[in-house]
Amino acid sequence: MRTDTDTGRRGYDHAAAYYTSDEDLMAVALPFLLGGLEAGEPTVVSLAPERSELVRRALPRSAEAVFTVTDDLYARPAAAIKSYREMMAGFVADGARGIRILGEIPPVGLSRSWDWWARYESAVNHAYDEFPLRSMCAYDTRTTPRHVLDDVAATHPFVAAPDGAHLIGERYVEPPDFLADPRPMTPYPIERTPPLVELTDPAPAAARRAVVQANRASLSAQEIGNLVLAVSEIVTNAARHGRPPVLFRVWSDTDHVVVTIHDTGAGPTDPFAGLLPAPDRESGGLGLWLTHQICHHVALHRDKHGFTVRLTAGDPHHTAPHLHTTS
Amino acid sequence: MQSPASLDSTPDRSHSCHGYQRQVEFEAEAREFLTRGLVEGQRVLYVAPGDSGDFTRRLGMDGVFEEGARRGAVQVASLDETYSSGAVVDPEQQVRAYAAATEQALAAGFTGLRVAADATPLVRTPAQLDAFARYEHLVDRYMAAHPMSAMCAYDRTELGDGAVAQLACLHPRSSTGATPFHLHAHAPDWASAALDGELDLESRPLWSVALERADLPVADGEIVIDATGLAFVDHRGLLALADHAERRGVTVVLRTPLPHLSHVLQLLDVTGIRVEQVR
Repeated sequence: MRTDTDTGRRGYDHAAAYYTSDEDLMAVALPFLLGGLEAGEPTVVSLAPERSELVRRALPRSAEAVFTVTDDLYARPAAAIKSYREMMAGFVADGARGIRILGEIPPVGLSRSWDWWARYESAVNHAYDEFPLRSMCAYDTRTTPRHVLDDVAATHPFVAAPDGAHLIGERYVEPPDFLADPRPMTPYPIERTPPLVELTDPAPAAARRAVVQANRASLSAQEIGNLVLAVSEIVTNAARHGRPPVLFRVWSDTDHVVVTIHDTGAGPTDPFAGLLPAPDRESGGLGLWLTHQICHHVALHRDKHGFTVRLTAGDPHHTAPHLHTTS
Repeated sequence: MQSPASLDSTPDRSHSCHGYQRQVEFEAEAREFLTRGLVEGQRVLYVAPGDSGDFTRRLGMDGVFEEGARRGAVQVASLDETYSSGAVVDPEQQVRAYAAATEQALAAGFTGLRVAADATPLVRTPAQLDAFARYEHLVDRYMAAHPMSAMCAYDRTELGDGAVAQLACLHPRSSTGATPFHLHAHAPDWASAALDGELDLESRPLWSVALERADLPVADGEIVIDATGLAFVDHRGLLALADHAERRGVTVVLRTPLPHLSHVLQLLDVTGIRVEQVR
């Protein structure tokens, strides 16, 4: 399928690899990895430990593939983009003319935080395009939810098949269109309870104090520091670039804090906002990007009422039992 | 080189900024401030616009004040009699004058010099304000190391809160709400400066201007800022500091207890700032 690597053309070949068994996965992945290793291309495997081990055993002992660990706890799309870009820039600086990556989205990304990983899968088509990269994203169709598979189809221009076939992804949507499409933001259970704080048009300092005072969670000083910074950045953006009134709300339980900042404007015009640092310092894009790097989760939502950013520290799915019985 | 000093333990080196709305507010605070100086054996100096012959009456020279005046402990100076209208101060010359006055006070047997000054007429134009703000930091450096203290007052109604903030932020202390942060020389452990308060939307572009005017001293290619009192800084505050470091070709060392700053700086690809984690 892809013939342009030999001519040295740069550009990203982003394929989804669907599988229903380990054998399936190996049938797609091994020829891809071996091909890279034979061509002397930096070849990276980024899978959950059990599948990573499977691949390691199947490759020749002498293979110099790079194995990285997908870590649920620290997995953030914007951080993944930053570290992959740095890694690939290093490979290219060392003379690589091709790079291969076999990866998968961390398990938590396929369920609770898919919204921002869907944005990731779309944005990388743009964010990695300057590198001579071929990648395969492995999806187990037995365990991946239907709506996730729909997004996978819309964010991968190619589909890798076991016999080495490289098919065109018929349902692929260009990143700016995919990212501009309104995506549902599922409220956390705690968002159905009255917020501990509700402020209209708060100054950043007032919003920061409200978060510190409302916090009931046993988060580390660093996690709280990061959340307070994120809140300040988003409230600043809302004041500078949004449209009043800005509605600010905080919820907290013993292990998480959730903050929503809503304004009646249209939100950022840059479709990659949050996932890539904005080239222009004045756009507010750097604050949103930083927020994506330091919060446990960030959701962006826009509808006819305006634009909402939801920031999360801790895990809102580890809710105390009594919350499930409250409605 | 200044000695380690903190504001609280050395009241005779204090340097504060007061934005007032009515002149009587300033006069009342000045009277209290100067009276304390007289009790502590300092020479006191009252500086304000207007007729200096009128100052003693306005201050209400009674008790300790009257007694102090008789033994040469109380001095007054009128800005109108010292400066022409619209005069732009020469920051270094101004500091030299106060250093000389402090030395004279010491030579005359006083424990130091304490000044209460309403400098409103000296900061009316942008050029005056710029020069005077630079002077405020220079004299702050002098006070951090010498037995001089000062209370600087500015008319908020006339100058506006924005102008007063530009001056207040270069003092170790100021009246409530005058400025979101303080960048000053009363720093512990040989730091170039101390920084307290919060740096966010409200302190833009005040923070960049303050850094530029303070022109903090460099030692071994570094500007060490004791930021133990800095409660918050957003990414723009950090980038403004990084820009300043780059312009001056130095590394800024930020002593901070904030646990997340070094990671944030790393994310922002900032190389000109080094975090020194303190408790």
